[in-house]
Amino acid sequence: MPKKLKQLFISFVIMSFTFVGFTQSVHAAMIGTEQAVAATAAQQNRERLAAALERPDVTAQLEKMGVDKNEAQARVAAMSDAEVAAMAGRVDSLPAGGDVLGAIVFVFVLLLVTDILGLTKVYPFTRSVR
Amino acid sequence: MTSFRHRWVPGVFILLAVLLAGCATQSGALLQETASRLPPRAELSSTPFFPQERYQCGPASLAMSLATAGIDVTPDALKPQVYVPQREGSLQPEMLAAGRRNGAVAMTITPSLDALLTELAAGHPVLVLQNLSLSWMPLWHYAVAIGYDIQREEIILRSGTTERLAMSLYTFDKTWERSNRWAMVTLPPGRLPATATESTAVDALVAYEKASDASRARKAYAAALQRWPHNLTLQVGLGNTAYAAGDRPAAAAAFRQATQEHPKNAPAFINLATVLLELGEVKQARQAAENALALGGPWREAAAATLQAIEKRK
Repeated sequence: MPKKLKQLFISFVIMSFTFVGFTQSVHAAMIGTEQAVAATAAQQNRERLAAALERPDVTAQLEKMGVDKNEAQARVAAMSDAEVAAMAGRVDSLPAGGDVLGAIVFVFVLLLVTDILGLTKVYPFTRSVR
Repeated sequence: MTSFRHRWVPGVFILLAVLLAGCATQSGALLQETASRLPPRAELSSTPFFPQERYQCGPASLAMSLATAGIDVTPDALKPQVYVPQREGSLQPEMLAAGRRNGAVAMTITPSLDALLTELAAGHPVLVLQNLSLSWMPLWHYAVAIGYDIQREEIILRSGTTERLAMSLYTFDKTWERSNRWAMVTLPPGRLPATATESTAVDALVAYEKASDASRARKAYAAALQRWPHNLTLQVGLGNTAYAAGDRPAAAAAFRQATQEHPKNAPAFINLATVLLELGEVKQARQAAENALALGGPWREAAAATLQAIEKRK
C-alpha cells in the first residue's frame, strides 16, 4: 500500500511539474548540451524529474542487494537518466551476468544434450556437433 | 539405470522440439552476406586476459574491454562498481555506467551478428551478455568477443577462466540471442564503434560528457562530428566542452555552426551570445541574443536574461 501511495504521489508531482514547467533560469548562463536539444521542454522536464525521483530508489535497491551505501550512490550518480529508468524497480529481476558454472544437477542431462546439440554451452568439457 | 534413462528421454526430446521450433538464428544466409564484406578471420590477440573469480565475469570482462581502450583497471577494482552481491552478478546498465566512470566511451552496439563481426574486424573487442543455459533456467554470463573465423564458423572469446574459447557461431548466437543480443564496446574518446547509429552514439556521448572531464568529451564530440557533421547535439556538445575547457574561440565557432545549420534552436544562439560577450564581441553577441529572443518559446526568458547581461556590459 505505501508503495502504491508513493507511486500516486510521484505521478501527481510529475503531472503538476509538466503543466507548470520548471522555472527556467532567469539569469544569463550557458545551457547544457542535454537541455539545449530536448525535443520539447515539457518532455525534458518530465524525464529529468522522473530520473531525479528514481535515483534514490535505485540507490536503495542496490543497498538492499548488498552494495555498500557510498558505492551505491557513486554508481547511480554515474548512470544516465535512461540507465536509471532501466534499473528502477528491476534491480532484482534484470539479468545478472555472473558465472559460467553452477547449473543444478536436476537438469544436468538435459543441458548436456543441448550442449552437444550446440544450443547451450553450460559445461566447459562438452564438444558441440555443430 | 535403464528405466531412469527411459523416463528422461521423451521429456528431453519434447523440450528440444519446443526449443528448436522457437529458434531463429542469424547464422546461415546472413553470415554469407557478412562474409563477403569482412576479412575471413580476425583475432585481437593483444586483448589481455583476466580469469574470472566466482560470479565475477562482469568485472573481469569489463577490465579486459577497458584495457583495450588503454585504461588499466583490475577486476578487483571494478567489483565494487558493478557487482551486486545478492544477485551474484552484474547488471547491464551498470556495466555501461562503470565503463564511462573509468574514462571510456561506452555504448551498446546494434544487436546482430553482422554488427558484432564488423566491430571485431574494425579492431574493437565486444563485451557480450550470454545466457549459456536455457531461457527458463538462465545462466547469465559476460564474455569478451575478440575474434572470429568465418571458414570455421567460430567466434573467439575471452570467457570465464578460458583465455581463448573458440565457440561455434551457431552456439554462440543461440546463447547470445537469449539476452536479445546485448553487446557493448568501451572505446577511448575519439573513437566510435564502426556500426554505431547516430542516435545511440549521440546519447552515449551526452552521458559521457556528464561523467568525464571536458577535454576528453570534447575529443569524443569532435570525432563524432566527423561522421555526423550536421548533428545539433554534437555541435552544441562540442561548443559546451570547448567552453568548459577554456577554449572560447573554438566554442564560438561550434555554436555559430549550430546556429547556422539549426536556426530554430534558441539555446545554440544563447550560448553563442554568452561566449561572444566574453570574447568582447558585444555587437555580435547582441545579435545572437536577439535572434534567440525572436524565437520565443520556452527559452524566451533565458534569451532575455542574456540580452540584459549584454546591455549591461555596454
